[in-house]
Amino acid sequence: MSPRQLALIPVAVALNVAVGRIVAEFNLPVYLDATGTILASALAGPVVGVTTGVLSQVITAMIGGYVWLAFAPVQIIIALLALAGARARMFRSLPVSLGLGASVGVVAGALSAVISYFVFRGVTAGGVTAITTLLTSTGLPLSVAVTASSLATDIVDKSIAFAIVGMALRGLPLRMVARFPEAGRAIRS
Amino acid sequence: MARAHPFTGPSLTIAITLLAFLLPAPAGPLWLYGGVVLAALITGALSAPWHGALICLPLWFFLFLLHGVLGADPSWSLGSLSLSREGTAMALGQAARLGAIVTATLAMYRGFSVPRFVDAASERGWPFQYSYLLVATIMAVPRFVSQVHHIREAQRTRGLRLTGNWLTKGRGLKALALPLAFGALAEAEERALALETRSIRAPVRRTPLHVVQDRFADRLARWLGWSSVVAAVVWRLAS
Amino acid sequence: MSVVFEGVSFRYPEARVPALRDVSVSIRPGEVTWVFGDLGAGATTLLLVASGLAPRHTSGVLSGRVTVLGVDPATDPALQGDIAYVTASPEAQLSHVAETVSQEVAFAPANLGWPRERIWNAVGQALERAGVAQLADRHPAELSGGQLQRVVLAAMMALEPRIWILDEPASALDVSGKAMLHVLLREAASSGAVVLVASEDADAMAGVADRMIVLSEGSTILDDAPSTILSGDAVWQVCRGSTTLADLARRAGAIRPASEFCAPYPITVPEAVARWRR
Repeated sequence: MSPRQLALIPVAVALNVAVGRIVAEFNLPVYLDATGTILASALAGPVVGVTTGVLSQVITAMIGGYVWLAFAPVQIIIALLALAGARARMFRSLPVSLGLGASVGVVAGALSAVISYFVFRGVTAGGVTAITTLLTSTGLPLSVAVTASSLATDIVDKSIAFAIVGMALRGLPLRMVARFPEAGRAIRS
Repeated sequence: MARAHPFTGPSLTIAITLLAFLLPAPAGPLWLYGGVVLAALITGALSAPWHGALICLPLWFFLFLLHGVLGADPSWSLGSLSLSREGTAMALGQAARLGAIVTATLAMYRGFSVPRFVDAASERGWPFQYSYLLVATIMAVPRFVSQVHHIREAQRTRGLRLTGNWLTKGRGLKALALPLAFGALAEAEERALALETRSIRAPVRRTPLHVVQDRFADRLARWLGWSSVVAAVVWRLAS
Repeated sequence: MSVVFEGVSFRYPEARVPALRDVSVSIRPGEVTWVFGDLGAGATTLLLVASGLAPRHTSGVLSGRVTVLGVDPATDPALQGDIAYVTASPEAQLSHVAETVSQEVAFAPANLGWPRERIWNAVGQALERAGVAQLADRHPAELSGGQLQRVVLAAMMALEPRIWILDEPASALDVSGKAMLHVLLREAASSGAVVLVASEDADAMAGVADRMIVLSEGSTILDDAPSTILSGDAVWQVCRGSTTLADLARRAGAIRPASEFCAPYPITVPEAVARWRR
């Protein structure tokens, strides 16, 4: 890895954690814990994006238990889809970024549902589990409740995350965009 | 734990995580959780079991609610509650798994030393960029979290509101997240320059700054941990 | 010749004008070479190109030829550890993985694979020379800007580099820190290193530098001894000027034309006293 890539990954991971703290202060039903992963992938490509995602889960695991490493595949998928979106110029405007985020949210939500159901028996953390519990109490099977709650939260979560990253990319100075060839492609209209 | 080899803690934590899922629930994870709590107390990580329980409490609550109270075939009475026997057993097993893993993580990382980890990795011949990534991230996270506070206060002087409807909160989120993202990229540029000027590209093996002893007790502990995992895998496959 | 520019031009990405235009200079070892110019003149870019950071770190287009110790600094890893690059912002040069000042100073020597004993000997000596030995066990995050800049200088001293490239290195330093820096520059030059400094502090550099290169709009305009350039009128035509004393003499001459207030202007206090006493 180049020094620029080595330097970007730690701050992108820290961004994942820090944005998550911001969200907690606003009491919003989202996590935005992949914002740094999406940004890193859109700027510097798959190796940086995937490493950021996996390292984020490692840090989360070090704080709250290695069991959260089970969600590393979700971060990897998000990184790869963010890169694909960047190469397809899908960060060029807010509506397109939101659409990309919602699409990624569907994929991420589906994968999260599988992991949540089989590894965590439907109990992960916070708002998602509360929604799962509410749906189960109405008589829905646990598998359906987990899938519905994961999809709903991930679609909203990833839409907002991709919108924020799109705004950040479009606001970058030209000289910085020039240092990240992927970023230039992502925002070209 | 502070003077254990830097690889011992993470290694044992990974082994405990795997054992938590390999051992048959609910008895296996329960015994494992008990063992981890005992080990934490013996090794001086006295607060790990308590903090671990605090972290797990919301998860335990939802496990009990989702599988015990709302589980299939509620045939077991606990006071006025009708509980699912199978669901409660599943919740108990999962709760013990989470408890064991979280407690082990907290206990093992209490004595984690970043420089000793870097030295140990260098001694093993790991390319420096791998240990750099881990330790640079560990040290960056608390700084960025504190920056959230500074950015929030700066934006509040400009009229940022933290309460209100979702549109207001959305605007506030943008006002905090974007400066943080730009700050992150500016810091990445600075760090890249620092790495360029501090010989990070040198095509030689990095020298460990201090000798990190890998004592017999450390090697034995890691060997026992991984042997248990292998034994558990073999037993599960055989049964 | 240790650092050679042959017809070098450099343009940053998306920039409309080049930051360096057809620069041809040879920076010699054993002397302190001072690069001077207004904002945007190209001084920082010259240093970045000399260190290989442009275009490797900055991106951009470089034309012409740059050789440092006989190799291309932008592509040859053999120069790792031979070039000490110091900027105005010490925070931009920390490793962010050290928990003490000693570890910070030892970071680059360890990356170079030095034997442990050599690393710690070099660290100890560097901390003493930089005047920060008492901070050895402190966390870098606890230090002031001036203390951090001394730590960065110590980190570079520990490498015993053959080439020093410094961009406004004194901006975070107090008076004693600047004095330490000037001693360091003279000692480095005396030991045969190439010393290349960009600074807008003409008063300080007049007594430190052996050679002065003045840039304007990316081109070299003047290249001579500091006393020759700073005491003349030409430097005022290309940038904001000279030392405080030369400025004073020039302004006095504009008010009251007299032989003691015309070029060559005195650039230091002893020169001014000697000249105006008559």
